[in-house]
Amino acid sequence: MSSRSRAALSLVVADGHREVSDTELAGALMAGEDWALTETWQRFGPMVLMTAERTLGSRTESEDAAQETFIRVFRIVKRLREPARLRSFVYSVAVRTLRSHLRHRRLRAWLSFAAPESLVEAAHFTVDFESRARLRRFYALLDRLSARDRLVFVLRRVEEMSIEEIASTMGISASTVKRSLIHASERLSAWLDADTPVARSFQGRSRAP
Amino acid sequence: MKTTAEPPDSPALVSLTQLLRAATAPPTAAALERGLNELRARYLAGRPGRRDIRRWGLVLVAASCLLAGGALWLFRSQPSPAERPVAVSSVEGGRLLDGGYLAESEGRGVKVQFNEGTEFVLAPGTRGRIRALGVDGAKFAIERGSATFRIVPSPDHQWSVEAGPFVVTVKGTDFTVDWDPSTERLHVSLRRGRVAISGPILSEQLVLRPGQKLSVNLPQAETLITEEQPGPTASAAATNASSSAPLPAPSLPPVSTPSGESQARSTAAASSERGWVKALANGQWDQILADVERDGVAPTLQAVSSAELFALADAARYRRRSDLARAALLAHRRRFPSSPRSTDATFLLGRTEEVAGSTKPQAIRWYDEYLVRAPTGRYAAEALGRKMSLLGELGQSDAARRAADDYLDRFPEGSYAGAARALVRSP
Repeated sequence: MSSRSRAALSLVVADGHREVSDTELAGALMAGEDWALTETWQRFGPMVLMTAERTLGSRTESEDAAQETFIRVFRIVKRLREPARLRSFVYSVAVRTLRSHLRHRRLRAWLSFAAPESLVEAAHFTVDFESRARLRRFYALLDRLSARDRLVFVLRRVEEMSIEEIASTMGISASTVKRSLIHASERLSAWLDADTPVARSFQGRSRAP
Repeated sequence: MKTTAEPPDSPALVSLTQLLRAATAPPTAAALERGLNELRARYLAGRPGRRDIRRWGLVLVAASCLLAGGALWLFRSQPSPAERPVAVSSVEGGRLLDGGYLAESEGRGVKVQFNEGTEFVLAPGTRGRIRALGVDGAKFAIERGSATFRIVPSPDHQWSVEAGPFVVTVKGTDFTVDWDPSTERLHVSLRRGRVAISGPILSEQLVLRPGQKLSVNLPQAETLITEEQPGPTASAAATNASSSAPLPAPSLPPVSTPSGESQARSTAAASSERGWVKALANGQWDQILADVERDGVAPTLQAVSSAELFALADAARYRRRSDLARAALLAHRRRFPSSPRSTDATFLLGRTEEVAGSTKPQAIRWYDEYLVRAPTGRYAAEALGRKMSLLGELGQSDAARRAADDYLDRFPEGSYAGAARALVRSP
C-alpha cells in the first residue's frame, strides 16, 4: 500500500505584471538571478544589435559583438556604482566592444591584404537594391576612418546622441568628440565628392523639397 | 540634441546617414530568441553556478580520488564523438585569423579539415569565416564567393552555413554554396545528403535533394530550383556556380496538351489528395510536376484541393514553369473564389507575369486587383512596391510618383521606401 502526502493546496493571487526598473534589474544581475539575464537581453538587445549593425555594416559581426557585449556586462556588472544607469552602462560596454571590433577588423584586413570593404555585407538592409549599393560604398568610406572617428560619427549622426553623451559613453572629453566629429565629417564629405558613382547618384537630390 | 555649432555635412553625406538610419530594421523576435539562446549557452558555460562553488571542496576531493583512474582511462580509450568538440585539424593554402577569418596565402583557395573528418574548400578569392566551433557542431559564414563542403554525418553535430541573409542547415552532406553580395545572388548545389535553406523571399524552409540546385536572385525576388545533370564533380559544380550568370532555364518536358488529358481524367479525379504539400516541403518539385504530366493538366486543376493547387503553383514557379503556375493560380481563383488563398493568388499572378516576361501592364493589373481586394494583406507592400517599379520602367513618371507617395504613406519602413523616396524627389 502506498502512502501519499496530502499537502494542502491553496489558491494564491499572482502579482500583476509589473515592469522591472533598471535599478531592480541591475540588482538582480549583481545577485546572479537567472531571469535577469533574459530580461537584460530583451530590454537592451535590440538597441545594441541595431547600433552594432549600423556601425559595423555586418549582421553576422553585429550579432557576435552583441554577444560579447552582454557577456562582458554580466561579468562586470558588479562594478556598476549607480544601478539606475544600467542602460548607459550597457551602452558604454557595447561601444567599447564595437571599437575593439573595428580595430580588429582593420588589423585583419591588413594581415590578409584584403580591402576592408570586403568585410561589409549589406544584404540585410531593408532598402532597395540601388540603396544597398550606395550603403555598401558608404561603408567602404567609413572603413577608411579610424575606429574612434567612425564611432563618434555614427553615434552622433546616425544614433543622434549628444556630444556629452558620446563623451561619457566613450570615456573621452567633449572637445575630443567634437574634433573627431569634424575630422570624420570633413573627410567623408571630401571622399564622397571624389566618389563619382555615389556623387552622381545624389545629383538632383540636393534640390529635393 | 545638438549642443554646439557643428559644421554642416555635405548633402550627399546627410542623405547617406539618413539612408543608413532608415535601412536598419529592428531584430525580429526569432533573431532575438536565437541570440538569447546563444547568449545563455555561452555565458552559462563559462560561469560556475553558486551551488557548484559550494560543492567545489567536495568536487576537488572526489576529483583527486578519480584522477589516477581517470588518467588511466584517458590513455586507454578515446572520447566518444558526442563528447568531442569539432576542431580545425589543418588549413592548407591559407591561415586562420583572429575572429575565425580564413586568409588565403597562395591565391589558389583554402582547404580546411576538421578532426571528425569534415572538410571544405574555399574557392580562390572567397571571403569566409568560422563563426563557431563546439561539441554541437560548427557554423561557417561566407561573406563573398564560393565554398564546397563535405560534411561527415553525425547526429551529435549540426553544421550550418550562412551566406548573406540566407542560412543553409546541413544534415550531413556534400554541397557547394556560392554567394555574391554585389549582385545578391545565392546558388546552392547539392550532390549528396540533404540541406535546408532559409532566408528572405523563401516563405518557408526549402529542402534540397541530391542533384538539385537552388538559385536565388534577391533583387528580383526570384527563386529557381533546377536539376543538375548527373556526373559533375564537386569542383566542376563549384565552378559552374557562377554568380553573375543568368539563372538557367529548367529542362523539363512541356505540359501535356489538352488532347492527351481525357485518358487521365479519371485518375486525377480519383485521387484528390496527392501529398503535394509534403512533397513541396521536401523539395520534390519534379515529383509534383511529373504527377501533373501523367494525369493531364486540365483534369488535375479541376480535381486537386486548394492547398495542393497552391503547392503545384509554387512548384511550377520554383521551376520557372510560368504557364503551369499561371494555370494553377487561375484555377484556384475560379474554383475557390472566397478563399484567402485566392487573394494571394492574385498577387502571385502578378509575380508570375513579371517572371514570364509578359507585358508589364498585365502584371500591374494583377497588383492593382490585389491592392483593392487586400489593402492590408500580407503582400500589400510588395504589390505596391512592384507596381511603382513597373510604372517607373514604363516611363509613366507621374503615376510612378503617385504610387511612391502612396507607398511612403503606408509603408515608410518598407523595402521599397528608398526607391520611393528617390522617385518622389526626382525632378
